[in-house]
Amino acid sequence: MTTATSSAKRSRFRLPFSPWHLLLLPVALLFLIPFVQMFLASLAPAKELVTFPPPFIPSTLTLGEPGTLTKSATGYIGLFSDSPILRWLLNSFIVAVTAIASHMVFCSLAGYGFARLKFRGRTFGIFAIIATIMIPIQLLMIPTYILFAQVGLVNGLGAAIVPWLASAFGIFLMRQFFLSLPKELEESGMLDGATRWQVFFRIVLPLAKPALATLAIFTLLGSWNDLVWPLIAINNEDAFTLQLGLANFQGTRRTQWSLLMAGNVVATLPLIIFFLFAQKQFVATMTMTGLRG
Amino acid sequence: MTPPRITALFRPLALVVATAAVVALAGCGAQQGATTLDKKADVSLTWWTGQDAEANDILKELAAEFESDHPNVSIDVSPGASSTDQLLQKLSAGFAGNTYPDISYAFGSWASELESSNRTLDITDQVSEPDVKWDEFSAAARATVRPTGDKTIGFPAIVDNISLIYNTALFDDAGLAHPDENWTWDDFREAAAALTDASKNQYGYAYSVSGSEDTTWQFWPHLWQNGGAILSDDSAEATFNSQAGVDALTKLRDMAIDDKSVYLDQTDTKYGELFAAGSIAMITSGPWQLYDLNTAGTPYGVTILPGTDGDHQTVSGPDIWALFDHKDKNREYWSYELIKWLTSSDQDQRWNVAIGNLPLRTSELTSDAFAEQVANYPFLDVMAENGDNAKQARPTVSGYNGLSEAIGSAISHVLQGDGDPQEALDAAVVEANEALND
Amino acid sequence: MATTDLTIPASRGAAPARRRPWGRSVADNVTGWLFVGPATVIVLGLSLFPAGWALLLSFQKWDGFSEAESVGIDNYAKLLTAQDFFDAVGHTGLYTLLFVPASVLLGLFLAVALNRRIRFIGFYRTAIFVPFVASAASTGILTSYLFNPQFGLVNNVLRVLGLPQQGWLEDQGQAMMVIAIMSLWGQAAFTTVIYLAALQDVPMELLEAARLDGATPWQAFWSVVWPQLSPVTVFATIWQTIGAIQLFDLVYTTTRGGPLDATKTIVYYLYEKAFKSLEFGYGSAVAYVLFGATLLITVIVVVYSRRRGIEAF
Repeated sequence: MTTATSSAKRSRFRLPFSPWHLLLLPVALLFLIPFVQMFLASLAPAKELVTFPPPFIPSTLTLGEPGTLTKSATGYIGLFSDSPILRWLLNSFIVAVTAIASHMVFCSLAGYGFARLKFRGRTFGIFAIIATIMIPIQLLMIPTYILFAQVGLVNGLGAAIVPWLASAFGIFLMRQFFLSLPKELEESGMLDGATRWQVFFRIVLPLAKPALATLAIFTLLGSWNDLVWPLIAINNEDAFTLQLGLANFQGTRRTQWSLLMAGNVVATLPLIIFFLFAQKQFVATMTMTGLRG
Repeated sequence: MTPPRITALFRPLALVVATAAVVALAGCGAQQGATTLDKKADVSLTWWTGQDAEANDILKELAAEFESDHPNVSIDVSPGASSTDQLLQKLSAGFAGNTYPDISYAFGSWASELESSNRTLDITDQVSEPDVKWDEFSAAARATVRPTGDKTIGFPAIVDNISLIYNTALFDDAGLAHPDENWTWDDFREAAAALTDASKNQYGYAYSVSGSEDTTWQFWPHLWQNGGAILSDDSAEATFNSQAGVDALTKLRDMAIDDKSVYLDQTDTKYGELFAAGSIAMITSGPWQLYDLNTAGTPYGVTILPGTDGDHQTVSGPDIWALFDHKDKNREYWSYELIKWLTSSDQDQRWNVAIGNLPLRTSELTSDAFAEQVANYPFLDVMAENGDNAKQARPTVSGYNGLSEAIGSAISHVLQGDGDPQEALDAAVVEANEALND
Repeated sequence: MATTDLTIPASRGAAPARRRPWGRSVADNVTGWLFVGPATVIVLGLSLFPAGWALLLSFQKWDGFSEAESVGIDNYAKLLTAQDFFDAVGHTGLYTLLFVPASVLLGLFLAVALNRRIRFIGFYRTAIFVPFVASAASTGILTSYLFNPQFGLVNNVLRVLGLPQQGWLEDQGQAMMVIAIMSLWGQAAFTTVIYLAALQDVPMELLEAARLDGATPWQAFWSVVWPQLSPVTVFATIWQTIGAIQLFDLVYTTTRGGPLDATKTIVYYLYEKAFKSLEFGYGSAVAYVLFGATLLITVIVVVYSRRRGIEAF
């Protein structure tokens, strides 16, 4: 199905570009348009955002202005001048980097262990781990908070970080990826006298780059966009993460649409940029393994 | 016959979990603080404002001012949660985890629950002092901070009421007279029907059918004006399925289903936005709506609710600053002083009035600050005066939330064409009584 | 080329170690636990106390403020006779059936389409990813914008095309479908990215061998690539199913369970009972019933696939 080089299309009519563009471009636009709308809304004057429905293309584009006594802040200028968004970005960044690093280490080790190693309690272990996501998180918020409060974590960023050190998702994902790798590679490594650790680091891990990239992407996304847990866990305003800060623009009665839209764009951009780079890892690694089928 | 190493690994894990459990369960009582009052002692207060970013900033400034007036007091101000709804969860968790604040914003409907937690202060004695001028607060507000009549658990924070807001341009274009304070609900119904135009997706009126408190409390004025009551005298039973209630619900239903003049909002927020856009002619809402209307430039007017036989009762939903007990006399003293200062006439003008809410005290209605706000938000004075029409308080008994859910769901179903008003209300009363007597 | 895990590794590079009755050495067990230990401790450690607390709570009555009181199995009994609970189960089931197969297949299709080296492929891949990045609140706002019957974009388009207007989010029969569509749109990237990554590890030689044997691209895909992807397919299916059963965010930001409770899912029901009606004990009971059902479904799927020889778990 996939070919590293364009295969011969000998007797076919050749377009100057791959026919796949005809499929992918409309699909891409379909997926992108809402983001475009959000971006346009972040540049719209406030008065067009408090009505429903808001216009797709605003009548004028504006970068907004800082708040005064009688008018709220609006737009990107208002966002950066009147709200601690840079601090929120920093906090989210700290949480995300820690989460990604920690996941890559712990979850790949655990995923490999559950996939390839045989030890007592293995099946129970993986089931228990998957079982942890079967209880709706809404209900676990309060007791988890109590637990953290007792340990004194709730006044800082620690409360947001600790749950992201490892996850059932990460373990399960890596396990399934390792399961799909051909065993022969590892077995030939072990026959050559390597220990499990060496097999893991030298043979398996390099092949797992797409899997690790996937893990990084989803861990970043999860920790960056997490709202429910930081909402309950972080009391200290200085430790607010980005989503928590943005959620403050939506009061019970009044929503600051302009700041919210601008904030959402600012929140989404780093993720998109990260993905743009990370997806380069999605390149076939199994083309030259020298395996004879 | 497990290998020794495995149990060795399990043991520390089990220990960690057990310790956590024991520690968590053990830490259930409140810490003991200062037992005698020392006004000069250093005190550190935590204040959850439950407000959005803008309002929170104003409160922070005020807190800083209080701090500079009283250098031994330091106040940690934060919203507490990103929306007031979520503050309930945080307070629950805070109680259970012993990390609750000294002062917190709370919806009036949580007042009796908060009291039942036994973590609130009782400031009944303090507020009877003349300099507090307790009677300047509206009756509904005072009743809400005294939910069971037993304790006074805090001060009123924000007061509001429901008035009739209408789009002047739509009325003028249709050649109809604007609503005024002599309107009846029949006048209202006629106008709504006349201003409904399906081809333009224009509606005469709007009502939330989300089943939430918005659905419920908009109904109470109708019930009260018809002479009905929400609860029996001893507050043990729901009585909204009386003839008064059925008539009220039937009239709304007829507007929605027969006249088709009511936009039924599945959420609580869209109808405000649609009104701002000029798609709805009249809504019944409160002061919070005015900010967006002025931002959007919608041409609007405000008057009191239509009446029944001259009774123009409306409903008011005060929210409160709840004061919590940390068994520390100093914290108690300063929490009280802070909020007393905040809700005094001068400060309230800088906070509530400045942000566009209604003033807490009747004495503020003549102030310059309020006059300025009326210039910024036309008809705010009409809304403020409508507070006089909030003659009855929304119930504050525990179980009100369950009652609200029950009738909210009933109203929602009936307005969408599912069910008969009498039957729906009867069923809701059964559910409500369960909640009340729990 | 599905591998089986039934055989014990032939050797560890030396003469076979002394075998215990269950066929593994102590060293094997230690190595195993060293690999999985840290992550397992973190995940289970953070869940055990809350899960246990919630279980205890399900046997109590608690409003979040006053003292909890023990009520035995009353909450569970109430659950079994609650019509609105079973309605919620029905709605959730409908959504799961609509969403999960579509999500997996759509992800597979998109991954295959995106697994090539044409120009702008980075742009295309990122475009699919963008909705996934948006928060539930944003997606909710967008859904309203598109599917509002009076003012939404979709009905406007239908009007221009002369087709009848639909009720969409305000129609009891259609609301869940709209939510499923928006979920698919928002989460397409999840299964796509996972399959895309998995496709990289498919050995090219197998495909070429199949083509040399005369298979068409379609046949080659289903007989060579698809089995190779089965562990990842199992992952995606289980994960999406658990996620679908727990649908909450999108319902909260669009319909709040309406119209007339048509989109009230189990977790939304739980949320209302626990946080609106302040019945935390009852909410816990609902959560545990949900947990039990989800666990049961997962176990059945795994056992079934192992019996059928689909060694993907």
